[in-house]
Amino acid sequence: MQIKLRVFRFDPERDQKPRFDTFMMDVDPNDRVLDLLEYVKADFDSTLALRRSCAHGVCGSDAMRVNGRNYLACKVLVKNLGTDQITVEPILGLKVIKDLIVDMKPFFDHYRSVLPYLINDDPLPADGKERLQSPEQQLRFEDTTKCILCAACTTSCPSFWSDANYVGPAAIVNAHRFIFDSRDKAGGKRLNILNEQFGVWRCRTAFNCTEACPRDIHITQAIAEVKRAVNTGRIE
Amino acid sequence: MSSIKTTLTGYVGYRGREGHWAFLLHRITGLGVVLFLAIHIVDTSFVYFAPHLYEEILNVYRSTLFGLGEIALVFCLFFHGVNGLRIAYLDMFAPKDWTIDKTRRSAMIALIVALVMWIPSAGYMAYNILYHNFGLFGG
Repeated sequence: MQIKLRVFRFDPERDQKPRFDTFMMDVDPNDRVLDLLEYVKADFDSTLALRRSCAHGVCGSDAMRVNGRNYLACKVLVKNLGTDQITVEPILGLKVIKDLIVDMKPFFDHYRSVLPYLINDDPLPADGKERLQSPEQQLRFEDTTKCILCAACTTSCPSFWSDANYVGPAAIVNAHRFIFDSRDKAGGKRLNILNEQFGVWRCRTAFNCTEACPRDIHITQAIAEVKRAVNTGRIE
Repeated sequence: MSSIKTTLTGYVGYRGREGHWAFLLHRITGLGVVLFLAIHIVDTSFVYFAPHLYEEILNVYRSTLFGLGEIALVFCLFFHGVNGLRIAYLDMFAPKDWTIDKTRRSAMIALIVALVMWIPSAGYMAYNILYHNFGLFGG
């Protein structure tokens, strides 16, 4: 099938303002949007800048807006877009470095702010090996372990668009992953962080995050559970 | 990109689903209610600060334009209230229902409930405008 691909282009060192380049190309309906961008780089314009690594929905490098909605470019097929007009833009709310590449530093700063690692200073168990956990205890936070930090959720969030100081859904998801881990001892500390001005209460439940997540994480649910834990002071 | 430009680009350009539209409508209806509340506080303050102008203010309320605005206001109140209850219920009592299917459905239900509540009120208010301002229905 023939498609018309419009790609956002902006090089801050050369361009006054962004523009869209248009490419007409024959593609297979089973091609992914990432494939189209690779065709552009190979056959039309090698200066196109984008991030990609594994190209199989695991590394989370290639989150972008495709026809106005956040996807991983490597996970969305042309046939699933239901149109032969495809527009690709960088994710929204982070500064564009070049073309489809954005500055992820603020995103990772927010991620780090919620202490996304296991904290437990208790003495080791008697056998000196591992802190055991039941399957039920593991299931409590299983869903939020799936995050690949692609930023598709955070950059689809209206609260993040209006204030980049908001920690955003991805940081809350990663806080949830440790808050509800029975082995972790710093849940209270994380809840205090998320109870601050730019924490969990900035969530307006617009639900774009859950719709955008390429890993199908129940993000709004996780955020609601963190809100409840902040409110009650209980981690259940 | 400034945050206002980013916000508006996202509000208008992001192709979200029912949750996104419910969020936007919630914002717009919330602003509508706040605007009316501000106007209402100002007009009521005339009773104290300029009683001789109060009747003039009430005449503005009786105008057709204001009447249409009040019909819109009633929709704002109903949608903002119903959608607010939906969000509060899901967030506080049923976080597990924040699933894609249930959220899409609940947002649509909130809109339908608001419309069902609004349409009879809107009809009655429209009747009043036509009766008093245009002399229809024997007015």
